[in-house]
Amino acid sequence: MRYIIIGGSAAAISAVESIRSLDKDSQIDLFSDEETPLFSRVLLPYYVAEELSKPLLNFRTSDFFEESKVTPHMGVKVTSLNPAAKTIKASDGKQYTYDKLLLATGGRPIVPPIPGVDKEGISTLKTMADAEKIYNMKGKRAVVIGAGSIGVEACISLTRRGINATLLEQLGQVMPTVFDAEAAEIVRKRIEDLGIQVITGEKALQFKGDKKVTGVVTDNRELPCDMVILSVGVRPATDLAVQAKLTIGDMRGIRVDEFMQTSAPDIYAAGDVAETHDIARNTWFLNAIWPCAFEQGRTAGLNMAGKKTAYPGSYRRNSIGNFIGIPAISMGVTHAESCAMTEDDEFREIRVRTKDVYKKLVLKNGKLVGAILVGHTQKAGLMSILLRKQVYIADSIPMLMSERLSFTDLLPILRRNADQFSEPEYKELMDTGL
Amino acid sequence: MKVLMVDKEKCTGCHQCELWCGTEIASNSRELAKAINEEPHPVPRVYVEGKPFALQCRHCEEAPCLDACPNGTMRRDPETGLVYVNEPTCIACWMCVMVCPFGIINPSSSMKVAIKCDRCRNMGYPICAEVCPTGALSLVERKDYRQRKF
Repeated sequence: MRYIIIGGSAAAISAVESIRSLDKDSQIDLFSDEETPLFSRVLLPYYVAEELSKPLLNFRTSDFFEESKVTPHMGVKVTSLNPAAKTIKASDGKQYTYDKLLLATGGRPIVPPIPGVDKEGISTLKTMADAEKIYNMKGKRAVVIGAGSIGVEACISLTRRGINATLLEQLGQVMPTVFDAEAAEIVRKRIEDLGIQVITGEKALQFKGDKKVTGVVTDNRELPCDMVILSVGVRPATDLAVQAKLTIGDMRGIRVDEFMQTSAPDIYAAGDVAETHDIARNTWFLNAIWPCAFEQGRTAGLNMAGKKTAYPGSYRRNSIGNFIGIPAISMGVTHAESCAMTEDDEFREIRVRTKDVYKKLVLKNGKLVGAILVGHTQKAGLMSILLRKQVYIADSIPMLMSERLSFTDLLPILRRNADQFSEPEYKELMDTGL
Repeated sequence: MKVLMVDKEKCTGCHQCELWCGTEIASNSRELAKAINEEPHPVPRVYVEGKPFALQCRHCEEAPCLDACPNGTMRRDPETGLVYVNEPTCIACWMCVMVCPFGIINPSSSMKVAIKCDRCRNMGYPICAEVCPTGALSLVERKDYRQRKF
């Protein structure tokens, strides 16, 4: 057996680990167009903030490839994929053959077509090279365009280094795909308390300056600045898949079946590039987040190595971490409206709000499809498992909304859905008779 | 692998396990009288909750926290199967908290690390089981449920 993995981040490494759990010796070739191996993309804002040095960005030790008997091809771009001949061509001029191939090519940051976007001092934050570029930029004022997770974290990172940062978002709230308006208000207040100017509902129209950027023109004002970070989202990097005529989904990701296989036999896809079944939305979706990439990479790897394993489906999960002083976690859909809907579906939103604590559950036909927790988040994972398993919980709302919710409270729900909670860690607790 | 089991008939909810875990494992002073005044406050890794029932990390076979951790801070000891937090590299992103199905990972904003039970992997025996006055907590071999016929 000969494996080829294209990509070098979460999904790729997870696939390597699961292949090696079953197949200790077959040849694995891993191609990444980035020079730096094994760094965690999620941590790039921490690098910009000067809180983590380069070695601490690694999510696996530097001897990982050697230990896993993987031949890494770093900085080598795969230029073509031929599913019929089962070969790839790479930028090193060579051709490689495979029996099983994984596309874990991830996403590419969107560069919005704003006039002047090619000026110096403007960068996305996706690669190690981007992070280094931003870290070395000179100046005192920055504008971050796009208030998603990366935008917010980048903005706070720059502020921690004494740079005066403005966060600009064209929609009406911060983190619009992560939080609802109420949670976003709490988060926004916290960001502003850090000394960051937050502007929502305004669009960047033009970048000022000759060679180097000196300002951002919006529909309302001009923001003078020395640097700009673009964080308006990512798109799946599907060039190879398109060229190989694999099926591409409505969200422009590579469509995969429940075994993470693409429309071509022996070609699998996982991570930010893969369009999977979304449990919360009950439709195809791109969930470009770290945990999904890891889960999908493992499932793909197991199937590639011959152990037929179904992926239960993806769902969005975001945590803002320690960046704003209070924890805030969100998963699934944030509003009832954002689910795939038919007239027969019944939606419910339940919320509690005190000053800095907010909790909201979104139910569809009595099952959890979304949750937001701000302030008190330790039990967030209980919501995650109920969402993942899609069990009926409409009769347990007061218990689930309680501040004192604990895992043992869920045992009756687990027991009546015992076939879905077949993992030993649940079974053994159900066996206690509680 | 071995797991901690709780006999619900014997657990009286006395919180001894919590107290000892908080003092012996979580505090700097390792003395109760000093530990209660420590800042940041020591965080016990066991939770006496609900019925009552002493719950700690279950060291899941397929642990969601391992998938979610973005920098390899959450690790599994290959020899014992125990899942633990390598605290020096924890960046307090709370991704593990977000996915823990048992809710036993504490996002400690004062200590800036995720805190959870490692079942006293560097000690001879888990302290919670050792101090339980009724013997409600015991270390047993995990059952292989897949072999059971349904």
